[in-house]
Amino acid sequence: MKPLILHGHERAITQIKYNREGDLLFSSSKDTIPNVWYSLNGERLGTFNGHQGAVWCIDIDWTTTRFLSGAGDNSLKLWDVETGTTIGTISTNSPVRACNFSYSANMAVFATDKSMGHQCEIHIIDVRNADESLGKSSPILRIPINGPRVSSLIWGALDETLLTGHEDGEIMQWDLQTGKKISNIKEHDKVIMDMQMSKDATMFITASKDHTAKLFDSDNLMLLKTYKTERPVNSAAVSPILEHVVLGGGQDAMDVTTTSARIGKFDSRFFHLAFEEEFGRVKGHFGPINSVAFHPDGKSYSSGGEDGYVRVHNFDQSYFEYGFDY
Amino acid sequence: MAIAKKKGDDKSNYSADSARNDGDISSNEEEPNFSDPDDYVDDIPNEELLGDILKQKPKETDGVESVIVVDGVPQVGPDRIEKLQSVINKIFSKFGNIVNTHFPTNEKGHTKGFIFLEYSLPVHAQEAVKATNNYKLDKQHTFLVNLFTDFSKYEQIPDNWKPPESQKYEGQSDLYSYLLEPDAYDQFSLALTGGAQVWQNTQPDPIVLHDRPNWTQSYVKWSPLGTFFTTFHKQGVALWGGPQFSQYKKFSHAAVQFIDYSPCEKYVTTYSSQVDVHNPDQKRIIIWDIRTGQEKRSFNPDGPSAWPIFRWSHDDKYFARMGTDVLSIYETPSFGLLEKKSLKILGIQDFSWSPTDNVIAFWVAEDKDVPARVTLLEIPNRNEIRNKNLFNVAHCKIHWQKSGDFLCVKVDRYSKVRKEKNEIKYSGMYFNFEIFHMREKEIPVDSVEIKELIQAFAWEPIGSKFAIIHGESPNISVSFYEVRVGQAPLLLKKLEKRACNHLFWSPNGQFIVLAGLGSNGGGSLEFVDTQDFVIMNTTDHYQASDVEWDPTGRYVITAISNWKTKVDTGYYMWSFQGKILKRVNLDKFSQLLWRPRCHTLLDDKQLKDIKKNLKKYYAQFESKDRMRQTKASKELIEKRAALMEKFSAYRQKRIQEWIEQKPRRLELRCGIDTDELDSDVQNTEEEIVEFFVKEEFIEIE
Repeated sequence: MKPLILHGHERAITQIKYNREGDLLFSSSKDTIPNVWYSLNGERLGTFNGHQGAVWCIDIDWTTTRFLSGAGDNSLKLWDVETGTTIGTISTNSPVRACNFSYSANMAVFATDKSMGHQCEIHIIDVRNADESLGKSSPILRIPINGPRVSSLIWGALDETLLTGHEDGEIMQWDLQTGKKISNIKEHDKVIMDMQMSKDATMFITASKDHTAKLFDSDNLMLLKTYKTERPVNSAAVSPILEHVVLGGGQDAMDVTTTSARIGKFDSRFFHLAFEEEFGRVKGHFGPINSVAFHPDGKSYSSGGEDGYVRVHNFDQSYFEYGFDY
Repeated sequence: MAIAKKKGDDKSNYSADSARNDGDISSNEEEPNFSDPDDYVDDIPNEELLGDILKQKPKETDGVESVIVVDGVPQVGPDRIEKLQSVINKIFSKFGNIVNTHFPTNEKGHTKGFIFLEYSLPVHAQEAVKATNNYKLDKQHTFLVNLFTDFSKYEQIPDNWKPPESQKYEGQSDLYSYLLEPDAYDQFSLALTGGAQVWQNTQPDPIVLHDRPNWTQSYVKWSPLGTFFTTFHKQGVALWGGPQFSQYKKFSHAAVQFIDYSPCEKYVTTYSSQVDVHNPDQKRIIIWDIRTGQEKRSFNPDGPSAWPIFRWSHDDKYFARMGTDVLSIYETPSFGLLEKKSLKILGIQDFSWSPTDNVIAFWVAEDKDVPARVTLLEIPNRNEIRNKNLFNVAHCKIHWQKSGDFLCVKVDRYSKVRKEKNEIKYSGMYFNFEIFHMREKEIPVDSVEIKELIQAFAWEPIGSKFAIIHGESPNISVSFYEVRVGQAPLLLKKLEKRACNHLFWSPNGQFIVLAGLGSNGGGSLEFVDTQDFVIMNTTDHYQASDVEWDPTGRYVITAISNWKTKVDTGYYMWSFQGKILKRVNLDKFSQLLWRPRCHTLLDDKQLKDIKKNLKKYYAQFESKDRMRQTKASKELIEKRAALMEKFSAYRQKRIQEWIEQKPRRLELRCGIDTDELDSDVQNTEEEIVEFFVKEEFIEIE
């Protein structure tokens, strides 16, 4: 399994995402310019130039026509994928830490950081007929968060609910009709770094600094599985075809300079979805992994690391043949 | 009563004040009137008003505990009473501050022969009684000292005495039950921050036998034969044993830091660096009898010395300690000095008991023209059975072989010596290993010289080999020598360019682990069979701080303790061949110790027979292992099957729901089916993407 190494960013990768078909791979980094690549051969298709700060989060709508990015320059930008031009920009009071298109892509959500004297806030915006007036139009819904800030968020199934992961490890479920909290659980002890839906959106996986990733029911937030490691987990994804999950993480970036790559454990780690048993590791990054994503066909996966590289791995035949006895 | 009365006074004063205030109030109407109405009767008892203060009211008996009565004091006339007082004061003020004295006199002014003294604290009174009762002042006068409270105590003794009820005898639990384990599994202990655990090293997975939070406050220790498990506490140490690890004994010695068992587990030495505030008389080193729990003898350390300060002979008969130019040997069970005096040995630097015989090896340093010397001393007759003079010696280290067959003295020698500001500086160092053949007549000595810096030395515990790590990084070599009768030690093998700094022999010899521990060692591990010097495995446990062989030599543990580092603490278990068996990551892990086994009860012939018939047993063990393996894998498969069944049931339900929601999904995505990558047949189109090959033109002028 020789990976494609995508070298286009100058700083740490913050998030990577495939489009629905999986032919394109989008990546963002702290260097302000999100990139888009052909996932097949790793050639860069283009860049999204316009942000002034580190880009923390990205998303692509299901038609691969529009692209969303939130950045440390206190702005959220909506882009046209085909031309790479900005459709609209929303200025915020603090950095945008998480953003997501809804299932229909009629709406999008983003959350701002708790900093510079401003509270963390969730905004839900209408992006149906978005144009340059996007910055002036008011959001559909604003939810101020008084407690620990939102560190990760995803839409629930069918555009009706919103799931937010928080700095203290708590997960909240919101009803978008009323803007009220439906339920909340606290299964993690530390900040939730990433949340990703399974292919059918009935389950989601969380990655936390408390060294675990956990699988939840996306409807009733029931804890289904726990995947334990001995390092902070920054990102986790569920395979669309097999009962596998992949976890990426490693020693905190701030501690890395004092330790060697060997002790940092910057490997992608594969676990069985139901047995919670680790069965494989993929080495390669020389800094912690910040984001992992499965290709929608489940035949390859990618990881983006603090080292600034995106690595696209095509699975060998042995991966598909490997089975657990039960 | 005086204070209570005073309180009453205060109260009346207060009412007087308030009466005076009444006048003010009339002039200033904003102040409310606090005074009682005229017909008010004060019926609130004092207890209700100031119950808390009344509780502190001194009682008549307060301070009585601090009073002592001294009888047998000389009767003197008024002219000499001052002299008497000064004598009494001299004797009794040692124990505390005397706040009050009373010398009763008769009508002529003669003292009556008994006096009363009051100390500031009851403990001082108790100490004075303890120390001065039966104190001989002179030929005629002996003090009889009692606490004042004793009088009332002994007056109230009931007339009819009841014999105490006899207590039921409770036998000790079987301390050796762990040796009856049918599969000969060994036990090991884990010390964690805030607790300790004892595990059985069962195959394929160890099981926890006892897990007790707060079992120890610092670390744990096994006794040398494995009978007792020791835990450390603020108040002292506790010994645990038997099948349930019930408390066997505890020895109260505040803030114990170190303990040392005698080799036969008869005695234990405890050391505390602090003085107990509640028990200032307690000495810093105490030797206890383990079976009775009695304190046998205690000492205070004089000057800095290496632990264990007291070192035991192999049979628990003698123990010795070293002082400046002196070696003190004590005998048991009297705990007195052997032949009532210490040995004077000028310049003694270090000593060590043979692990199998009552022989002490010690060395003395060079002094001007007198060479350094290593001496073997037989105890109790103090015969010097061997003497060896050594020249140009900077330092020596004594290494006994575990079987007591050989003794090695590592001698650090110099070519040049300089004195610089009272500091001795050696240069041109080289190293000698003086090998004493203990079992041969006259104890011949062989010598091995190595010019390089020595990193480590270790005897094969059973056998006749020893290993040395020498050289400086990166050219570190490991040399193996064999000692032979009538021949100089033979170099068997030299392994060059190794990354190790510690040697760990299997307890049964033959196998050795070369380990690189500590910050610059990297945790490298090399498993070597010294029969043919095959390197069985080269591997590592990054940042490992400890290596521990199990007592049978079947397993090796490497561990990362949280005393050394904070990341990845835990332990790895390896087979003696270096095959990884288990990786255990444990937060708060600090120490892993195997439970030692006692000496085998089989004689040499029986051991030989077993070795000869090993093939016969081998088949049994093999089938047992196989059964365990299949059982374990069966269990795992069953566990997985159960997990899968439960998870599948859940998934079926959810997938059903998902299928039911399909119309709503279609509605949200303009009627296009996106559930599968290829489910949207109408809109799928094959697209051919051309990838540009990068072209570059370089114009050449």
